[in-house]
Amino acid sequence: MLAAAGIAASLVALPASAQESGGTLVMVTQPEPPNLAPYISTSGPIGQVASKVYEGLVNIGPDFEILPSLAKSWEISDDGLTYTFSLQEGVTWHDGEPFTSADVQFGIMDVLREVHPRGGSLLQVIESVDTPDDLTAVLNLSEPAPYLLVALNGYESPIVAKHIFDGTDIRGNETANAPIGTGPFKFVEWQKGQYVRMDKNEDYWQDGKPYLDRVVVRFIADAATRTAAMESEEVLLGGFGAIPNIDVPALEELPYLEATTEGYGYFAPMMQLQFNTSKAPYDNEKVRQAIAYAVDRDFVVENIWFGFGKVATGPISSLFEPTGLYTTDGVIDYTVDDRIEKANALLDEAGYPRGDNGIRFSMVHDMTPYGEEWRRFGEYVKQALGEVGIAVDLRYEDVATWLKRVYTDYDYEMSSNWLFGLPDPVIGVHRQFHSDQIRQGTVFVNGMLWSTPEMDALMDKAKTENDPAARAELYKEFQQVVTEAAPVIFMHEMEFVTVYNTKLHDVVTGPLGIYNNFADMWMEQ
Amino acid sequence: MTDAAAATVPAPPKRFMFWRRFARNRSALVGLAFLFLVILLAAIAPVIYPADPFALVGRPMLPPLSGDFLFGTDTLGRDVAAGIAHGARTSLFIGVVATLVAVAFGTLMGGLAGYYGGWIDDLLMRVTEVFQTIPSFIFAILLVAIMTPSMESVVIAIAVVSWPPLARLVRAEFISLRNREFVQAQVLMGMPDWKVILIQILPNAISPIIVAGSLLIATAILTESALAFLGLGDPNIMSWGFQVGAGRTVLRRAWWICTYPGVAILLTVLAINLVGEGLNDALNPRLRERS
Repeated sequence: MLAAAGIAASLVALPASAQESGGTLVMVTQPEPPNLAPYISTSGPIGQVASKVYEGLVNIGPDFEILPSLAKSWEISDDGLTYTFSLQEGVTWHDGEPFTSADVQFGIMDVLREVHPRGGSLLQVIESVDTPDDLTAVLNLSEPAPYLLVALNGYESPIVAKHIFDGTDIRGNETANAPIGTGPFKFVEWQKGQYVRMDKNEDYWQDGKPYLDRVVVRFIADAATRTAAMESEEVLLGGFGAIPNIDVPALEELPYLEATTEGYGYFAPMMQLQFNTSKAPYDNEKVRQAIAYAVDRDFVVENIWFGFGKVATGPISSLFEPTGLYTTDGVIDYTVDDRIEKANALLDEAGYPRGDNGIRFSMVHDMTPYGEEWRRFGEYVKQALGEVGIAVDLRYEDVATWLKRVYTDYDYEMSSNWLFGLPDPVIGVHRQFHSDQIRQGTVFVNGMLWSTPEMDALMDKAKTENDPAARAELYKEFQQVVTEAAPVIFMHEMEFVTVYNTKLHDVVTGPLGIYNNFADMWMEQ
Repeated sequence: MTDAAAATVPAPPKRFMFWRRFARNRSALVGLAFLFLVILLAAIAPVIYPADPFALVGRPMLPPLSGDFLFGTDTLGRDVAAGIAHGARTSLFIGVVATLVAVAFGTLMGGLAGYYGGWIDDLLMRVTEVFQTIPSFIFAILLVAIMTPSMESVVIAIAVVSWPPLARLVRAEFISLRNREFVQAQVLMGMPDWKVILIQILPNAISPIIVAGSLLIATAILTESALAFLGLGDPNIMSWGFQVGAGRTVLRRAWWICTYPGVAILLTVLAINLVGEGLNDALNPRLRERS
């Protein structure tokens, strides 16, 4: 116990504010998760609940700095191929078994690399994990991977217990609905359709934490009821769309509620229009650029997303500014004042003059079947492109049909879409633009059939470049060429809102937002 | 009532009889008048609002009576009044076409079942029951979702869920008529079946079909609106249900966006129902005194 106290003190220096202990946090998550197994699914609701129970080797700080978690410290060899993690001492699983480097080895090699949806590609570079002693884990990589450390956080790469999973069918493990982790909160019960209850882990390795006695995650199917529950202080916290954006302004006016769009940096959701670049006339760069000029991003954010969003400039979200990877330097600005003239001129140059009826050519625009805003956006696109002489017909299908059309049959011309940028371009951005990501039948990859050796080379270099400055330079060029080629029109960085009661403090402590473990959150008594 | 007075007047020609019976129902006249207005609106929509009703013509969410916008603008700045005018075309067109398809198919199924009886009747009625046991609106949603929302798929979906009650009605009429003496006489004289059905039975069964069909138009318009409300209408065609659906997220901030098209749906459906009642009174005079 003494040792544990020493470690807690050696962690990040916390501001000397008076955190109070106690209290039950009631949060609302939408929808109810199908299970509580974050090692087999990246589904949002699963992550929101299970991140309190499972932890990763590291955590992510407000400016994407890597903070200790289950790993106390780490060393990366000069060639970038060996990561040596020193683990926290005195950590136990919620069932009392000690946490050791064998859990790290098993968790990464046998669980995350095998069954996690992104683990297969993200952790592929890890060839083996050595365990020289119980508190040291050594990751041996096949090539440098500057994106690896950030991906070892508790939401993306939760470490599970070897003694529970070893020798069982990992996907069917009995703890999938009753997780046993090392985190600040222990799973207690799950009343299906109502709530998940988690209680304070008294033996948590960070002394004095967590501050909260209990976390209850409620599931309320109706959006208006969730807003009302927030209003009546029945629930104290909700995010990631649990409280509809449209209700936020009214809630914000209440003295006891606060709203923030912080805490989504990890996801960096980007709204876009994408072309099938194998079909004429969308194989013509000028046509794609003209369409990029023709849409008014400000109008879309203001009137369709009701102000929740920030006009995008390129493939990398401005949320990455702290990492140095984001730039607008030398990137084409499609929001200039004379954008309509530019669009018309480009279409003329491309060889599509207006016909007698004022129409240059016609297209079918597929709308993302995710609901109202996407319909409105499609209707807007039809009008905006009509203005520059492109006659648009709209098509709206169910999600499965649409995904198949875009990512399997490639039977589309232009579709709206949105993707997570995720905490490193290698994870979230490369999948859309690298030619090796033209994977028929796999969704949210390169559905534009976009392939240039130039861009591939840039991404390949950036993927293994460990020097931050050199990497930023590569991504600067990448942002310039992607935006100029415009296989995707970057519309806006979507914003989600976390609404919380002012009784709560330290709610959003980094880009993981409500996917954090809440060890630092406290409540005024 | 005015029956006594009517009896003293020499019987007018048959079509005037029909009109007089119809006109006796005041609310049916009101309904008919309103329906004419809607038809007129649909007819002149391209003249009074020549632009695309989806065009972004003003600032978003202008209240009614601002500038040129009688009913205001919606969340994207589209003219709500233009949408209502063009939506009238959609509603009426889909209502009438879907009903015609449903009536034609229902009459065919019911007619064959009622006329031939036996195993044909069994077979056709079991098929009808299959359709009747599926909740019709859910079925319509399913059909449109499978076929991809478009004008055609909406018409087909509405027709598919609307024909079974008609088939049952027509079957009952045919069963009672086929055993009447005048029909039996023709059969004995060797008239082919199709002639008996078309010339002898159908004209005598036409009144209830017309009444049921007129009411079906109202249901079809409601179904079309509900589908469009849920986002399952043709995305390229303006409709009232679409307008209500698109405006409902801002109901508290901009009530007019969904209120006016909602009222349009209400009044049109009410008018068609009143006209249907009037037709019922006029075509089934013996039932007239029931109320």
